[in-house]
Amino acid sequence: MTSSRSTMALRWLVFALAAFLMNFPVISTLITSLKSEAEITRYPGFWIEEPTLENYREIFRMSDRFDITHYLANSLIMSLIGAGLALLLAFPAAYAMVRFEIGQKWLMPTVVNLRAIPLIIFAIPIYLMYQQVDLLDTRLGMGLILCLVNLPLVLVLLATSIAELPEEIEEAARVDGASTIQIITRIVAPISVNVIAASAVLSFIYSWNEFLFGLILTTSNAVPISVGASFFFAASGGGVRWGVAAAVMMLATLTPLVLGLLMYRQIGRSMTAGAVKG
Amino acid sequence: MASAADLQLRERRREGAWLIAPMTLFLLILLGFPLVLDIIYSISKVGFETLRDPEIVGIGNYGGAISDPEFWAAAWFSFRFGIIVATAQVLIGLFLAIFLAPLLDTRPWLMAILMLPMMVAPALVGLMYRLILHEFVGILPYYLYLWLGDSPSFLGAQTAFNTLVTIEILQWTPFALLILYTAYAAIPNEIREAAAIDGVRGFATIRYIDLPMLMPAIGVTYFIRFIDSFRVFDNVYTLVGPGAGGSTTTMSIYIYRAFFRVGDIGLAVAASMLLLVASFAVLYLINRLTARRKPT
Repeated sequence: MTSSRSTMALRWLVFALAAFLMNFPVISTLITSLKSEAEITRYPGFWIEEPTLENYREIFRMSDRFDITHYLANSLIMSLIGAGLALLLAFPAAYAMVRFEIGQKWLMPTVVNLRAIPLIIFAIPIYLMYQQVDLLDTRLGMGLILCLVNLPLVLVLLATSIAELPEEIEEAARVDGASTIQIITRIVAPISVNVIAASAVLSFIYSWNEFLFGLILTTSNAVPISVGASFFFAASGGGVRWGVAAAVMMLATLTPLVLGLLMYRQIGRSMTAGAVKG
Repeated sequence: MASAADLQLRERRREGAWLIAPMTLFLLILLGFPLVLDIIYSISKVGFETLRDPEIVGIGNYGGAISDPEFWAAAWFSFRFGIIVATAQVLIGLFLAIFLAPLLDTRPWLMAILMLPMMVAPALVGLMYRLILHEFVGILPYYLYLWLGDSPSFLGAQTAFNTLVTIEILQWTPFALLILYTAYAAIPNEIREAAAIDGVRGFATIRYIDLPMLMPAIGVTYFIRFIDSFRVFDNVYTLVGPGAGGSTTTMSIYIYRAFFRVGDIGLAVAASMLLLVASFAVLYLINRLTARRKPT
């Protein structure tokens, strides 16, 4: 389809409008975070009269009441556990399912359908179970749940990718006497590095952004930043300092935003593959 | 020879069992056990003090949930929310995918900007809108006062539903756009060229070539968006809180509140089980439908 100059301009206009509206929360929060408290009350609009980083400095000065580095560290560790463990569990399983056709009848559908089931159904019994085994309010406990949340997508992505690999290399290695474990670790894993990385990034972002289980299963030691950020509003009572609040939200969302910008190709491919094959 | 191959096959099956064992075990513990607990508690009278010895009382909890008007209000809220949001997202996403395709084909990085909203935690998006919609410091009321002289209360009983719908649409339309654009870009150009020779041009190309070929992607996208919107919790919770007069009680929030605020574990778990059964019913239907379509 050839487009005239004016329809091209219209396309750009629609793009700009869509990009602005969809990113509106982040844009306006970023702007507010760069304003002084006085300016926010006087003029909440889009222009920044005197840009300042004071709100960001203030967050770290108030670490005795609101310890943002603690929340960020919690999110980082539990997201790494959640993404890493999901890969470790799903990779051999995906390989066995594709190559040995094991578990395709019941295990695969169970895991895949898990994604369509509201998580709150399992939140309550998991809370009660964690209470018994002392996993409440721990990073490990949260990491295990995040792994559960990530498993369906990771399994689908890995199985799809492994199914597309040519089987001949593995057969040749087997003839040469390689064991299944060796084939997985020396051959399949190295050539699957792209899909592994893409799955890892997407699981990491989903884990970082998870809220429901963080809210239910943590109280102080293992509070993730998604929940911690809402503590800021509760902690400041009636007089919320909006500039600092905006800065907190920006720091809370910085990691997934940067990952999203840097790896949008891999993330896009994973989301598409996960949706179409799932 | 046959027995050797047989032996090899059996050997591989045993290895395969070992390979899926860790994941299966993990799922049994974190999914199977909670499910059993769910079933037991759903037919028991149990509070936070009597967790270890629930008293089996039959299906009373299910009756309690079914006869609770709030349960149905929450189910209806989530259902309506899911339908409206998914429909809007698919329609807007489809329009953007086709209309912006010439830009996205040559400049893939534009997609990164449109995908950005999906990187933000929905819980944080809810918090961000607390700021944006704030009467005194919010950007939106500021401009509405400036231009129109008035600003609605976005989170009042009447308006909260529309506000939440808009927020959800704006954050997750990118998902529909991404899936539908990928499907659109994968349609071979030869088909359009062949149609052009037959005199099919412009909107007719979209109507008779593109839309039919996009139908499977549209179905999948609609289903995923509906499910995700139906179980919405995070942004509703952070924007309007778990209570707020009950006008914004989604299914997930109903269960959460029954459990933590009211302490009625039996009721909360029975409601969960009803939701699980409903989810399975929907999944079963979808699987039947897609299975029937595959051979054609």
